[in-house]
Amino acid sequence: MVSSMDEKVVAVIMVGGPTKGTRFRPLSLNIPKPLFPIAGQPMVHHPISACKRIPNLAQIYLVGFYEEREFALYVSAISNELKVPVRYLREDKPHGSAGGLYHFRNLIMEDDPSHIFLLNCDVCCSFPLPEMLEAHRKYGGIGTLLVIKVSPESASQFGELVADPVTNELLHYTEKPETFVSDRINCGVYVFTPDIFTAIRDVSSQTKDTGKSATLRRVSSVEALQPATRNSTDFVRLDQDILSPLAGKKQLYTYETMDFWEQIKSPGMSLRCSELYLSQFRLTSPQVLASGDGTKSAIVTGDVFIHPSAKVHPTAKIGPNVSISANARVGPGVRLISCIILDDVEIMENAVVTNAIVGWKSSIGRWSRAEGVYNSKLGVTILGDSVAVEDEVVVTSSIVLPNKTLNVSVQDEIIL
Amino acid sequence: MKALILVGGFGTRLRPLTLSFPKPLVDFANKPMILHQIEALKAVGVDEVVLAINYQPEVMLNFLKDFEAKLEIKITCSQETEPMGTAGPLALARDKLIDGSGEPFFVLNSDVISEYPLREMIEFHKAHGGEASIMVTKVDEPSKYGVVVMEETTGKVEKFVEKPKLYVGNKINAGIYLLNPSVLDKIELRPTSIEKETFPKIAAAQGLYAMVLPGFWMDIGQPKDYITGLRLYLDSLRKKSPAKLTTGAHIVGNVLVDETAKIGEGCLIGPDVAIGPGCVVESGVRLSRCTVMRGARIKKHACVSSSIIGWHSTVGQWARIENMTILGEDVHVGDEIYTNGGVVLPHKEIKSNILKPEIVM
Repeated sequence: MVSSMDEKVVAVIMVGGPTKGTRFRPLSLNIPKPLFPIAGQPMVHHPISACKRIPNLAQIYLVGFYEEREFALYVSAISNELKVPVRYLREDKPHGSAGGLYHFRNLIMEDDPSHIFLLNCDVCCSFPLPEMLEAHRKYGGIGTLLVIKVSPESASQFGELVADPVTNELLHYTEKPETFVSDRINCGVYVFTPDIFTAIRDVSSQTKDTGKSATLRRVSSVEALQPATRNSTDFVRLDQDILSPLAGKKQLYTYETMDFWEQIKSPGMSLRCSELYLSQFRLTSPQVLASGDGTKSAIVTGDVFIHPSAKVHPTAKIGPNVSISANARVGPGVRLISCIILDDVEIMENAVVTNAIVGWKSSIGRWSRAEGVYNSKLGVTILGDSVAVEDEVVVTSSIVLPNKTLNVSVQDEIIL
Repeated sequence: MKALILVGGFGTRLRPLTLSFPKPLVDFANKPMILHQIEALKAVGVDEVVLAINYQPEVMLNFLKDFEAKLEIKITCSQETEPMGTAGPLALARDKLIDGSGEPFFVLNSDVISEYPLREMIEFHKAHGGEASIMVTKVDEPSKYGVVVMEETTGKVEKFVEKPKLYVGNKINAGIYLLNPSVLDKIELRPTSIEKETFPKIAAAQGLYAMVLPGFWMDIGQPKDYITGLRLYLDSLRKKSPAKLTTGAHIVGNVLVDETAKIGEGCLIGPDVAIGPGCVVESGVRLSRCTVMRGARIKKHACVSSSIIGWHSTVGQWARIENMTILGEDVHVGDEIYTNGGVVLPHKEIKSNILKPEIVM
């Protein structure tokens, strides 16, 4: 019996690609969504640092469709910083969420890992990975899913599942059902043993034999647009093709988290998730957060991150839930509430920014106001990169694409 | 002879098309916008064209190498590190524009399409002997623009009036100039406006003459004017080289179809339609007043009017696309969908109707 001290673990983080995730526009026009800063760090940084807490972690793979060069700098920097090998693997064509894992199985198995974590990059949660691994070892199945309880109304947006309350076995799984099945949903964080590769291979050969998919499901038109790759190991979806059929067969188990969980699908959600991570920093690494009382440095209220190179005037008031990136300049008398201020932004005297994301190199004029309203049609205000808001202009619940100048106030508008 | 084309900035008014390509490379009448100008310049003996740009030079340079070879004309870029206005770029490109021959050089604005009567302009310039010539065009609503006040017989320019409140004239700057090298001595290397600073100086010295542009003129920097511009352009093509237009039982009015495009049975195409390279128009399709860009596919029984279908997009069966719908690159409109003025960013699928004008990100 191999002792758990010798067992290596590999983590795979799915990062997606440029033609998917158009919901993250306009921010994703300039930067791949996984690299967008949440609470002062690129989005993918949060699952990566969570992986670092897994005992015997050998390697982290980022799998996606982006060009290699988009991740090259980040991957080498983060490998150095966290002292764990991180590598970006580019999928040549869509393989589906499980097919992608299968496609790179040789690389993943190179370190002969006993367990493989699979995470989605755009999940915002506390990532209780060591605890999941321990629970998984006890259950003895081929996989364990992280699950969370949500409100019954919102459950249908996700994969709903039913678990045995005693054994925690996954009994039933269905993706985005039209009628209510359960208020427990799939968080998009999994741990598997290498048997998962056999399971994926078996599913696809089954599909090949019968000529129809393992489940009768309405196919999303994105998948329908793919040339018929579904009858091969090439295109296998984790939820429909693996989780649903294997539910109830004593192979899959669940681990429930009582902490927060959100999906970062839209720019507005990135603001909300930034808030969640900042409040998590308050508990795990409070030294990262800013503080100040208006004497030597600006008044800080609530959870705020200010990059060391940013300059904030002492008469400004910042917070709660504000994240200020590198080289930003915040002028006298500025009020920032619930916002993300990206690199090189200049905010001039007495301006107010609330419920907004201000893109790289943008400028906010004196006495101007950038304001978002969460439940309105367009939600939080988003300024793309190099947007100039002139003095005294008010931008409300609007989205402004890069390189525009606003010299009149706008509300509920998209400015192309 | 040399020429400078003012390409300038980000082309934000032509989004979503300019999210995929820089503005000069956006196709107009089946050809990149800038190619229309470069061909007109080549035809009057220009041997070097300088593009004054401040955005995405790498993307431009690749295409330009292609044009250079095909047209046998030298094309270089002059990159602004900060926006230099409408005259600053001339000073920046000074070394490329002065070749010691003393010949005048052309300056064109990249957003403009017209018949480019450049040979007539060279004659006009020689005849009056002044330092600078500009093309002006007559418009219905001069107060939207900068009006050029000139002597009607000689064309000598008296002054420029920006957006006049009272009527002073109906000729506006068409964005086509022919300048003697000495003009460059009058432009400082800083952000400068040619209309507000340079031309008034030359006019005061009685050296600026304006020629009324024969034929059509359009600033196609935004989608509405792009569609109107196509009508004017095809109209002019009908008069000058009607053989380039497509004819047939299924064609109405002026229609331009690339030779590699395929059109199915039972279609009715036109008026004022341009169909680009590699496009497929399936059977039973109605197209009017629209542009279908390279690689796009219009499926059976669809109906498209007054819209722009971006590169490699598809329009589904029985779909109806109208009223200034602009589909960016790789947009797929589902079967039976109706879009009324939808402006759709690249790489999207439209699976539900767009009932009133709306931007889809």
